[in-house]
Amino acid sequence: MRSDMLSRAFDITLLLLLVACAISVIRMKDLLAATIVFSTYSLIMCLIWQHRGAPDVALTEAAVGAGVTTVLFLVAIGRTTRVEK
Amino acid sequence: MKRASVAALLVLIAIPLLAAMAELPPHGSSETPAYTHVSERYLQRGAQEAGAENIVTDVILNYRGFDTNGEVTVIFTSVVAVAAILLLRDEERTSQERSSTPVSPVLLFIVRTMAPFIALFGMYVILFGHLSPGGGFQGGTILGALVIVSTVVLGPDVAHRMVPAPARPWLQAAAPLTFVTVGLAGLAVTGHYLGFPSGDEWGWVGTLMLVVIEIGIGVGGGTIMASIFWMMEEER
Amino acid sequence: MTDTAVVTRAISAVLACTGAFFFLVGTIGILRLPDFYSRTHAATKCDTVGAGAVLLSLAVLHGLSVDTLKIVAIATFVLLSSPTVGNALARAAYRTGLRPWTRQERSGGEK
Repeated sequence: MRSDMLSRAFDITLLLLLVACAISVIRMKDLLAATIVFSTYSLIMCLIWQHRGAPDVALTEAAVGAGVTTVLFLVAIGRTTRVEK
Repeated sequence: MKRASVAALLVLIAIPLLAAMAELPPHGSSETPAYTHVSERYLQRGAQEAGAENIVTDVILNYRGFDTNGEVTVIFTSVVAVAAILLLRDEERTSQERSSTPVSPVLLFIVRTMAPFIALFGMYVILFGHLSPGGGFQGGTILGALVIVSTVVLGPDVAHRMVPAPARPWLQAAAPLTFVTVGLAGLAVTGHYLGFPSGDEWGWVGTLMLVVIEIGIGVGGGTIMASIFWMMEEER
Repeated sequence: MTDTAVVTRAISAVLACTGAFFFLVGTIGILRLPDFYSRTHAATKCDTVGAGAVLLSLAVLHGLSVDTLKIVAIATFVLLSSPTVGNALARAAYRTGLRPWTRQERSGGEK
């Protein structure tokens, strides 16, 4: 099945991107950049949920993960320091 | 030496985990416990039994209502915790004017134009949670994000008016309060806490109760989100 | 396949390819351009035209239905919000005193 293989390739690409994002979030010293990459992580996660047939979770992930969490992280960075020691 | 011991420890932890993973049923197999117990019944009879077309909403609010009840309480606890940490130094706060640059007129216009539509979308997501993907948590987050955007762009005064101060504690606790209220109403009607009337004649009451809970979760979630943002933002 | 179906598909394919092209160029721009302002410009282009064209292509492919209306609404939202974000970013950078890159000071502009 061609569409099946395409879907699987899409899944694997997304998962690889997810792992790359996760590792770079941990390794980054600049917390602002880490926050942005973390919101990318949430966005990819949201795509995976949607592709897996869970639109409810995808909606939550997009709103909470990519939206509000990022804002709260940014405010927290604004109140503390930008660079991890 | 330290690195080596950490690596050894990680390997030691990994071995039982991998062994346990090998025991798991194959991914996607229809014979896994997740597919053989209750999901069949949820999918077949959820719409009639639980009062919502969207099976996810059925599971979250009806079949697993107790869990969600606890969950919204946890979310309310989070705002209490943030308040306990951040508002401790309330007295020494000085009323300093924030030296902010004026907001760009383009941004102002666009946010003013979009705000009603974003609010409409949030309400749509909340109210149609029993028919389509979405619900209180998702829609509430959208509304909360709208309030946060308004705080940043239109200024805190405008945003504070969206959530009036006297009602704020009640709105923050809206989710657990509605849950308990609806749960007690269910107790009165069906004899079980969080019991939803079902069947052809009284099914609409169950649906109505689900919608009320969704609204409560939405309002509570949105207010909590905005409140946490305000608390973090205010005493800068 | 009827003629109109072929035409619809062709239009939608062209639009999708335009969108993908703009995304590609925008991404290269974000990576390669010298300073904050030009990178913001590239990112905004890629969002506005790229996403707009892809969404329009989906709308054309879908024909007339409620879903098309939703896609058009999303496209409008993107067309409104993405340039606004670019404007806000560039303005904030300019207000905080970030100087644009010029040919004279090759090392300037950044930081």
